Amino acid sequence: MKANMQGGNESRFEKTIGYLLIVGVIISLLLEIAGVALLYHTYRQIDISQDTSVFIKGHDFFTFVLQQVEGKYAEKSPFILMTAGIIVLVLTPYIRVLASVLHFAWQRNWKYVCITLFVLIVVTLSLTLH
Amino acid sequence: MNMALLVVLSILVGFLGSLTGLGGASILIPVLVLFGIPVKEAIASGMVAIIATSSGSASSYVREHITNIRVAMYLEMFTITGAIVGATITTIIHPTYLYFFFAAFLLTSFFKFKESITREFVPAVSQDRLSRWLELHGSYFDEYTKQTVEYKVTNAAAGGAGMLVAGLAAGMLGIGAGAFKVMVHEYILKMPPKVSSTTSNFVIGMTALAGVSVYLFSGLLNLTLMAPMAIGTTIGAVVGGRVLNRMGNRTLRILFFVIVAFLIVQMLYKGVASL
Repeated sequence: MKANMQGGNESRFEKTIGYLLIVGVIISLLLEIAGVALLYHTYRQIDISQDTSVFIKGHDFFTFVLQQVEGKYAEKSPFILMTAGIIVLVLTPYIRVLASVLHFAWQRNWKYVCITLFVLIVVTLSLTLH
Repeated sequence: MNMALLVVLSILVGFLGSLTGLGGASILIPVLVLFGIPVKEAIASGMVAIIATSSGSASSYVREHITNIRVAMYLEMFTITGAIVGATITTIIHPTYLYFFFAAFLLTSFFKFKESITREFVPAVSQDRLSRWLELHGSYFDEYTKQTVEYKVTNAAAGGAGMLVAGLAAGMLGIGAGAFKVMVHEYILKMPPKVSSTTSNFVIGMTALAGVSVYLFSGLLNLTLMAPMAIGTTIGAVVGGRVLNRMGNRTLRILFFVIVAFLIVQMLYKGVASL
């Protein structure tokens, strides 16, 4: 009975993770497509540029996300959409590992709570410190 | 080069990458270098595109219960560590070294290719203590044989070390290093081929995130390069995945050899020319 319940939980978890990944990728790619389309609409050209304005700048990911939400870089909207696409893409596997920590904690599988927590902490530190 | 051309090129490359098992970024980075894009910029953008292609394709395998999530989570501890170190090295070293590292790593795909033809998969009959403690086993329903396949994973410590190397190469070169990961899965961890490739796909997404965490604010991430790459390689990979089963093995082998040989020569040429 307990094994069946665990199997059901595992299957639900896999479905959730699967949908989370595909939804994240679709949203991200739609933002990128909208950004490229808007870039063409605004400037009538879509060359690959080496201008400094097309390179992502910032110090840590989470502050960067907050600044984007507050509209600090609102002067060039095509690039805002493309940047939002990257943010969604980065958050997709990040949320996936966060969900895994919660799933294993719910199952009281402390071994895998530690393993997934290690991944979450290392990635969070890397996103914050680089 | 403009973004529309890069989208078309990325679709083609994503398609070929999916058919040959090399992955889109492994092909696209040398092609971008050929078009005059700085190698470090190509690597950083390739890493972002990998999150899209691997998450997109991993999604259905996870839902179909083929991917072994516990094995993936365990191996991710090693790949993300390797990817962060690898990406950090790339931001520091001279680009010339990257051409040679890239060519050397492509050679490992030849090895994987030869092994996959000559070597039969041998399932593990028993597990070592660490693999048992980590509960590294599973089962899946094989649509081809219409049977449920149960399997045990073994050699967890050696597999972890192998994945550290895979992560290092992935972070350093902006690629998924899927061929190398699959080799570790099948020959060290003794995972069945289908579980091996789908779990590798799942792990690649997290490894790429670790690499991106280093490249994100390194001044190498070009939006006009990254956006078309992500769009194109993902579309190409999806189409490639659908066509794969309809193509003959001989065609795929010839395609694989021609592409890898071309990429190795191209990266070696760039490396020698930049000395």
